[in-house]
Formats: sequence, C-alpha cells, structure tokens
Amino acid sequence: MLEETLVLFKNIRNPKYDKSLAGYKNTGGFKSLKKVFGMKPEEVVQEVKESGVRGRGGAGFPTGLKWSFMAKGTGKPSYLVANADESEPGTCKDRELMLKDPHLFLEGLMIGSYAVGCHHAYVYVRGEFFPAIKILNAAVDELYADGLLGHDPLGSGFNLDITIHTGAGAYICGEETALLDSLEGKRGQPRVKPPFPAVSGFNGCPTSVNNVETLACLPFIFSDGGVESFKSFGPQNNSGTHLVSLSGHVNSPGVYELRMDVSMKDIIYEIGGGIRNGKKLKGVIPGGSSSPVMKADEIDVLYNFDDLAKIGTMMGSSAMMVFDEDTDVVKLLHRITRFYAHESCGQCTPCREGTHWSRQIVRDFLNGNGSEEKLKRLDRVGGNMLGTTLCALGDAAAMPIQSFVNKFPEEFRKYYATT
Amino acid sequence: MPLLNEFPMPVFQIDGEPVEYEPGEKVLSAALRCGKIIPHYCYHPGMSVVATCRMCLVDVVDLGNGRPAPKLQTACSVDASEGMKIETFNQKVEEGRKLVNEFFLINHPLDCPICDQSGECTLQDYSFKYGSGKSEMDYSKRVNGWRDIGTFVALERNRCIQCSRCDRFTREITGTNEFGMFNRGHELAVDTYTDRPMTNKFQGNMADICPVGAITEKEFRFKRRVWKLKKNHSICTGCSTGCNVTIEHDRNEVFRLKPHENQSVNKWWLCDEGRLTYRKMNEKKSRINQPLGLIGENLEGISWEKAYGAIAERIRELKPLPHEVLALTDTHASNEELFLIQKLLKEGFSSENIFCPFPTWEQSESDFFINTLITTDKTPNRAGALALQIKGDQKNKKLKKAIEGELKVVFILGNPFENELEFKEIIKRTQLVIHIGVFHNSWSEMADVVLPGQFYSEKEGTYTNKNQRVQSTEIAVKALRRTRPEWQIISELLQALGHKSSFESIPQVFNTMVQEAKAFTGISFDKIGGFGIELTKNTKDPGKKVVPEMTAI
Ligand SMILES: Cc1cc2nc3c(=O)[nH]c(=O)nc-3n(C[C@H](O)[C@H](O)[C@H](O)COP(=O)(O)O)c2cc1C
Ligand code: SF4
Ligand code: SF4
Ligand code: SF4
Ligand code: FES
Repeated sequence: MLEETLVLFKNIRNPKYDKSLAGYKNTGGFKSLKKVFGMKPEEVVQEVKESGVRGRGGAGFPTGLKWSFMAKGTGKPSYLVANADESEPGTCKDRELMLKDPHLFLEGLMIGSYAVGCHHAYVYVRGEFFPAIKILNAAVDELYADGLLGHDPLGSGFNLDITIHTGAGAYICGEETALLDSLEGKRGQPRVKPPFPAVSGFNGCPTSVNNVETLACLPFIFSDGGVESFKSFGPQNNSGTHLVSLSGHVNSPGVYELRMDVSMKDIIYEIGGGIRNGKKLKGVIPGGSSSPVMKADEIDVLYNFDDLAKIGTMMGSSAMMVFDEDTDVVKLLHRITRFYAHESCGQCTPCREGTHWSRQIVRDFLNGNGSEEKLKRLDRVGGNMLGTTLCALGDAAAMPIQSFVNKFPEEFRKYYATT
Repeated sequence: MPLLNEFPMPVFQIDGEPVEYEPGEKVLSAALRCGKIIPHYCYHPGMSVVATCRMCLVDVVDLGNGRPAPKLQTACSVDASEGMKIETFNQKVEEGRKLVNEFFLINHPLDCPICDQSGECTLQDYSFKYGSGKSEMDYSKRVNGWRDIGTFVALERNRCIQCSRCDRFTREITGTNEFGMFNRGHELAVDTYTDRPMTNKFQGNMADICPVGAITEKEFRFKRRVWKLKKNHSICTGCSTGCNVTIEHDRNEVFRLKPHENQSVNKWWLCDEGRLTYRKMNEKKSRINQPLGLIGENLEGISWEKAYGAIAERIRELKPLPHEVLALTDTHASNEELFLIQKLLKEGFSSENIFCPFPTWEQSESDFFINTLITTDKTPNRAGALALQIKGDQKNKKLKKAIEGELKVVFILGNPFENELEFKEIIKRTQLVIHIGVFHNSWSEMADVVLPGQFYSEKEGTYTNKNQRVQSTEIAVKALRRTRPEWQIISELLQALGHKSSFESIPQVFNTMVQEAKAFTGISFDKIGGFGIELTKNTKDPGKKVVPEMTAI
C-alpha cells in the first residue's frame, strides 16, 4: 500500500504539533539555518544545485541554477520573493504549509535569502488567503521578537527583514514578473523577458522568485545527510518529495506528500481511495488546469516532471484533478476556458482575444450550436495562442483546449450530433 | 571616418544583408533604421518595449551559435547579437503574422470607410496584407464605446487595439500619468483616471502614435480624407523651439500640422498649441491682399509699381539723414528677411536704426524632455535676430533715442512692439511709414504705404531656433495672388532706391548673409538639409531663463 513520505509534512502530520516558533524549534527547527550561516553563500547555492530541487511553482526550473544566474557586483541590493500567490486551479499545497507550519517555510525563505544575498525578503501572498496572511504575520513577529530576523540573527552577521505583502487577487500575479510589478505597486502584468528577474527584478534589482513549497524544501536539504536523502526520493532529475493536491471524484481528496517515483494510478487508487461511488475513471488533469488532460488509459505513468513531459503533458504544480465517467468534458473545458478568459491580463493580443474567443466557441457547444467546423476552429484558436504570447498564460489556456478537443472529440460531437 | 573603422560596430544579418547594431539594440530598432519593414504596433522608438502586440514576428534562423530559435520571436524584444541571422519574410513568418492579425480583427469594427484613420492606419495596411478577407468570428464584437478624454483628442475605444502606446506616453513622455489601461483580459480598455479629461499640453501626439483610429485629433477629424493631403516639411513657428513639422494641405487649405521627427529638436513630438497654428495659415479675413497707399484720408489698393514708385519719390523728397530712418521688425521674420531689412537700412540710408522686441523668455526645466519644448517666446526667430545683432527691448537706450529723435522714414516689418502705444503715437506723426506685413494691424492702419507679405507656409525661409539651430521651410500652399514674400519686397525696395544688388532666391540671400554676417560663418544653405544646422559661433541668448516645470495635479 502506497504511503506518504513525510519531509515537508513531518510536523503537519503530527496531531500534537505546535506550529508556534517554540514548537517548531522543539522539532529541530532553525538548525539548518544555523548550519547555513556557517557556510559561504556560494556553497549554499552549490548544495541546492546538488540536491537537484526543481521549482514547485509549475515550471520545474532547477532552483540552484536559477540562483546562480543572479547578477552579482551590480551595486544594487538583491531580493528573494516567495511566491505565495497559489492560484493555479486545483492547487492548494502552499496554503497547507503556510497555515500549518509557517516557520518551516520561513526558515526556507531565510536560507534562500542568505544564499542570494538578500537583506529584505518579501512574501507575496494571495489577497484572499486571510488566515494565511494572519498566521504568517504572527510568525514573522515571533521571529523578530526572538531575534531570528532583523539585525545579526544567531550571531551570523547577516541582516534580514521579511515583509508579508498581500496581493489583490489575480491569477496572473502568480506569474513572477507580474508579481514583481504588483509588488512594486503597479498593475500586475507580465514583463517582457529578457531581462529576467535575476538581472532586473524587483525595482530593477537582481531578484529570485520562488514558490513556497520550493523554499520549504530547504531546511530538509540542509539537515544532516539532507542532500542525499532528498535525491533518493525520486528518479534522477526529479528529486525530493512533493505535495500533491489531489481533488475531484476520488474518495479521499486532499494534499499528500509523495515521492516522485510513484505512479499516478497508485496515487488515485491507493492514496485517493479510488473513484467515488464506484464509478469509472474518465480522465485526469495532471498538473493544474493548464496542463494537457490525460485519458483513463494513460495514467500508468510515474508522477514526476520528466515522465509526464515524456507523454506530452506536465506535472505543473502537482495538482491532480480526477474526473469520473459521468463528467461532461465540454462543461469542464468551458469552466477552464472561462477561468483563463477571466484571468488573462489582456495586454498581449493572442491571449486577450484568444481566451475569450475560445470560451465563446465552447459555450456555443453547450448551447447546442456546435459543429464540426467549430470544433476545428476551437483547436485552431488554441493552437494560435500556443507559443505566441508574452507569458505562459497563453500556453496555459491553449494546452487544455487542444488536449480536450483531441482526446475527447466524441464528447463535443454529442452536443451537435443529437440536435 | 577612421574612428569607425577602428571600432567597427558589431554586425548581424537581416534577410542576408549585414546590418550594424549598437550593443543592446533590439532587432526591430536596427531593422527599422536600415529601412526594413517589419509590421509592428506596440513598439515605439521613444518609449519602453512591452512586446505585447505580438505582430513584429521574425524568424531567427541562427541565434549566432548556429542554432535557430525554437519559435518565431518578436523583433522588438530580441537583442541583436553578433552572427545572428534573421528572416523577416518567409512562409513561417507570414503565417505567424496572419494568425496574430486575425486576433486583432475579430473584435475590431473594421468600418474603415467611416473611420478617420483610414489611409494612415497600420492595422488597415497589415490587414490588407495578412488578412483573410473573411472572418470566422460568429459572435457580436466587443463594445467599449466613446470616452471624452481631453480637449484635443477624441477616443473611440472600439477601434483600440490595446497597444498601450498612449498609456506609456503619459507615463514615460509627459509624466502626467493621466491615462491608463483598465480592466483586464478581453475587457482591457484605455481611459483617463477618475474620468477626468486630460490636461497635458501634448495630447495630439497620442493621436499620432495611436496606430489605429482610436485616438484622433478633434481639430482634424472628419475634415479631409488623409490620402488627399499633400505634405511639406516645415517648422512650427509657434515658439522659439522650431519643432519640425509636416504641413498637410489640400486645395490650398491647410488641415493639420504633424510632427516631423528630428532628434536634435523635437524628437517625435509637437505641442498642441503648435498644432493649432495651422489655423492662422488659412486665415483670410485679416490678410492684407494687395499693396495699399494713402490716397487722401484712405488706404486704397494700388499696384506694386506704383507703391515702389511712390516710396522712392517720397524718400528722394525727404532726404532723410541716417538717424532719421528707423526700422522695427518682429521676430516672425526669417533670417533672410531680417538680413535684408538690415541691409536696406545700411545700404539705402547708412543707418543702423533697426530694432526688434526683446522680451525675456522662459523654458521649463523638467525631467521630461517634452516639457522643454514649449518656451514663452512665441516667435520662431529671435535667435536669428540676435545672430544678426538686431536687438532692443522697449527700454533700450538706442531705440528710445531713435524714436524720440527726428524721424522721417519708418519701416515696419510684421507686428513688432504691439503694445507700445507710446511708440505708435510718435511714429504715427512721421512723414513716411511703410508697413510690410501679412495681416492688418495698428501699424498698417497708420502706414502711408502697405506692402502685403506672405505667411511662412507660403514662402521659403530659414529660422534660427533657441539653440542656434538654423532650419528651413518649404512652400506648402500658394500665396494670395497679389502678395510677395517679404524678402523679395525688401530686395525690390532696395532696387527702387537705386541699388544694384538684386536677390532672386532664398539660397542666394542666405549665402550672401553667410558672407556678411559673422554669426553665420562656416555654413551654407546646402548644409541646412532636413534637420537643420547649428551656428558654430555661439550667439548666446541672455534672455534664456529656466523655470522649474509645474506638475499638473
Ligand atoms: C500564469 C501563471 C501563473 C502562475 N502562478 C503561480 C503561482 O500561483 N504560484 C507559484 O508559485 N508560481 C506560479 N507561476 C510560476 C511563476 O512564474 C514562477 O515560475 C515560480 O514562482 C517560480 O518559483 P519556483 O522556481 O520555485 O517554481 C505562475 C506562472 C504563470 C505563467
Ligand atoms: S499571455 Fe495573457 S496573461 Fe500573459 S501577458 Fe499575455 S495577455 Fe497577459
Ligand atoms: S482603425 Fe484602421 S482598421 Fe480600424 S476601422 Fe479605422 S482605418 Fe479601419
Ligand atoms: S488608444 Fe490607440 S494608442 Fe492607445 S492602446 Fe488603443 S490603439 Fe494603442
Ligand atoms: S512591436 Fe513587437 S510585440 Fe508589438
């Protein structure tokens, strides 16, 4: 029977865990930070590279590599910004960390700040996460009171401030450059790259934006023997455990911490307890709403970055949305297209026009106005957004459209064959 | 130029041709510089790159390392690099443009026949080229409607393609931040903040940079289809900056002024007040349309010959001594006109009694270049007068002495010292007052002879701007039949007084001036070219005072 591997959730799964600073320290908290303070920043970055940890925000970019791109010797301050905007549909893992073990994440943020030479780190939290905002602020207050933040924590000679910044509720502000604009007080819109944030990010200074979960891995990586065990949790290039947000028609939805060498099938049937009401599986959206959909017969695959990429989809933010045989796929796609049409920032043409147009076409099917021609058009509009936009939201909107149309064409045809 | 050979600029290739670029330059900028056409909407050389319209697609067939880019790239955001190879038209590029263009059109009204931008609309042009001619959009189009955004421009948002040029303009160019993008996604729309009309003095530029018919000039819209307009290069005479303009006209009527790019003067911009000076070019009522002479109590129409004859005769009778002659000129006059009237006094009367008003003037100090365009000197050629050493504010001692002395002959060019009633009282009593000018004013009323000149849009000339840059104007519209350019009038007056020097053309006057007036040494008419040339000898204008810009609240 497949079970969780507890690294990030070690404390959370302990029912008696006290998430205050004292409680976190009791479980060995801030030992890693202390160890890191004894290392040179370059060594820290090297260790992170060694661990093979890849960004958990969706793109899976190697974190150590990203940090090594940070511009040095510019005379400008460097920044580390935690991306706590978690808004990819289906994803609810960062929220667990922030609500239930804030100090684990904050320790990770501090380790990261030390590594990139940041003296003022920001946490950009999604505006609607009221409890998380409250908890994070309380946790930061505790850290200041304890002397772990501010001037010279643990006698390290390093200074660090952390500011919790609340967004105003826009999916696009999870995209790192839009996030930085929003953090600067501007309208949150993705910026043109290059320059990448590592060169010109927050207020034009070298910046790294990292996901909450990515940062939360750091205390473990810097524990004794951390790098080696971290690597052992998954196949090469897919190291560590990750938090899987399992939702949809399974018997036990929830956020589970899993190794990266387990199959999707086992996750759905063993961790998730199978499809509810004894129904059959129809498909899975494997990595948040932007990832190409999979059919029931494709799930015999290891759930990690590379194995999913090999079969033409992606793990994204590890948010698996499972749907059963009764699900109306056209309605599901309509829900997804509606989301992207609503969340597109609108600045670039293919996304602004394409997200809305594709939604209109899908709605046509629901209204009984579908046709073979429109099905082709839907696919074409999706394809025309793919790879033509400024940020990845355009791709995120296009991939579900194309995959739904190509994998479930019959479901669309039902809508006009009968009328 | 040996310097360039020593430090050659790096080179990349566009469509197989080598193109030099400055390190850090974007592909689109380098391409446009060498005359390549790459369709684009959001890119503007004067503003930040946002790369949002996605129209400027090119195929990077070699990134400089032998490998191609994986997909089409937006030329406005890709850095040119050594050895890079770009293709601006191949099947892949054409297809890419086609599909982006379709997205532009699905919600666009496409009512070109009733759109004032028609004929100078890049969306229209590219749609002709890349559009399929038939729409697959079955749903009703987006409606965003009209907004009242300012005194000078109108906004029809249904035609907006969300390129954000206007938004960047008020943020990056004027710094007034009155305009922005609202809502998001499909509903993204431009508007002013808190619904207040804009107050910046440069709104017309927003109509210029708007690639479509969304922002148009209220003053011009629906007056004439743009393809009927003929264009002539000139300068704006609204103030001493001398912004480069194109005078656009049809059937001898001027319809608008548009900025003409000159990086040394106005870059791409023009102020709204300057744009409005076109009205004066069409002014007919107050024009002096034929030579006039005082016959009895009244000014009556006479022929040119009669006018010159009468003047020559009176002067022979009066035999004025040098101090009994005076010329007053305004600084709307061109360099050539100023030079010739100075010559008229010197050679005709051995007199140096020539003066022009010399008000103190100001220019804003500002972080935003555009604010430095408008100066308080509302004439185009004071620096020219200074270069010719013509000066004299109303308190000038020499001027006072000349006016209060015995005056027999007075020449007035234009409308100088408009508000000096005392001067006017004295001059009124002079025996012979000759007014050379375009419009009727109190000087023409008191004159014995009035000689009708031409407005600057009707004649050639050169003007020296506040930074000592000499710039020339072309003839844009035909002048009234019985008028003559002032430089010609003065030259004919010289001849009427028995002098041999005759001037046939502006280049000839200019080149004579170069020989005789020190400040113009070293230049020639041919060197002025399209962008003007700065006087090498600095004739610093002591009137120049800089005041900090008031920021609009
Ligand atoms: C449209 C869009 C939305 C995104 N939303 C999030 C988000 O909510 N949270 C997040 O961590 N990353 C999000 N990302 C990914 C970020 O841009 C960025 O890659 C990530 O924060 C980097 O962190 P990582 O390297 O730790 O994954 C989003 C990206 C896109 C294109
Ligand atoms: S792809 Fe969409 S969300 Fe991203 S910048 Fe373009 S319009 Fe905005
Ligand atoms: S903005 Fe251009 S394309 Fe649109 S209606 Fe006007 S002329 Fe036609
Ligand atoms: S109004 Fe014109 S300049 Fe402004 S965004 Fe629309 S199309 Fe661009
Ligand atoms: S001009 Fe390059 S994207 Fe608009």
